[in-house]
Amino acid sequence: MSARGPEPVSVALAAGTTSGATTSDPDSSTTSISGRAGSLDRDWLGELTSSGAARETALRDLHVLLVKAARHQVARMRGLLPRLGAVEADELANAAADEALVHLLGRLSTFEGRARFTTWAYKFAILQTANEVRRRAWASTEIALSDHLDLAVEVDGPESRAEANELAHAVAAAMTEALTTYQRRIAIALLVEGVPVDVLAERLGTTRGALYKTLHVARSRIRAHLVAAGHLPAGIPFGGTA
Amino acid sequence: MTSHQGRLSRDVVESLTLDTEPWLSCEECFDLMDSYAEAVVAGTEPRRRHDMEVHLRACPACFQEVESLVALLQQDSAD
Repeated sequence: MSARGPEPVSVALAAGTTSGATTSDPDSSTTSISGRAGSLDRDWLGELTSSGAARETALRDLHVLLVKAARHQVARMRGLLPRLGAVEADELANAAADEALVHLLGRLSTFEGRARFTTWAYKFAILQTANEVRRRAWASTEIALSDHLDLAVEVDGPESRAEANELAHAVAAAMTEALTTYQRRIAIALLVEGVPVDVLAERLGTTRGALYKTLHVARSRIRAHLVAAGHLPAGIPFGGTA
Repeated sequence: MTSHQGRLSRDVVESLTLDTEPWLSCEECFDLMDSYAEAVVAGTEPRRRHDMEVHLRACPACFQEVESLVALLQQDSAD
């Protein structure tokens, strides 16, 4: 077994690494906005908390920015919704931008200025849109929480296969012995079946944060079990099977 | 969508055994992702970089969203 270090995430992101994203220009049809909308020195907070025409203009411009981010996100995730037409895609983006605007305004007082306001705003639209695309992509898929694990391991070469099989069996044993039924089912749904965390949260009537916490605890228990059984060295910083 | 169809493949084993300490919630990741993305684009040191990187390796949804925000900022910079 060999420890494998993590690829620095920031490097991967800066290099434009994508995860199934399309590379089309999603913003080619973005509605034109006032010249001040993207201005770095614009007092968004002041305008949005004011009244009258200044606030209305700020709201309109902000919505345009959110639609831009939502379209960007739809384009990146388009592969998940192959039957989505152009009109439906734009409707999805606009609806997500509407929702994002509501959420953003509700959290306006939490803006701390650690990033540009426009960047802070974009993330609301990206989150809302990503949630909606994933929800639609999984809408017709039944998700049954399962305890079943298939130990088939896909690796190259007999030595690698034996090693991988040994570790896979040890992980399966750890999941059986160290996890609660709920933790095991959540881990299988998220990591084995690949159900997106927000989709599973919606189906179970819980939150993304709560499921991630469950997964965090499950991973910790699996690792501790593997370390105790001698399958995993203790003290690997992160990112590692060993 | 990623589906391993119930298989405990090598990738799944690696994901199941990820060390996700220090703990960072999805909510905290959302709070940090704007300044993180700006730092990535600017090539500067992000705030709580290690915590974010641990979380982003462990949470595909958050990774996908941060990745998208970085791409959007890069696109804005190029315009």
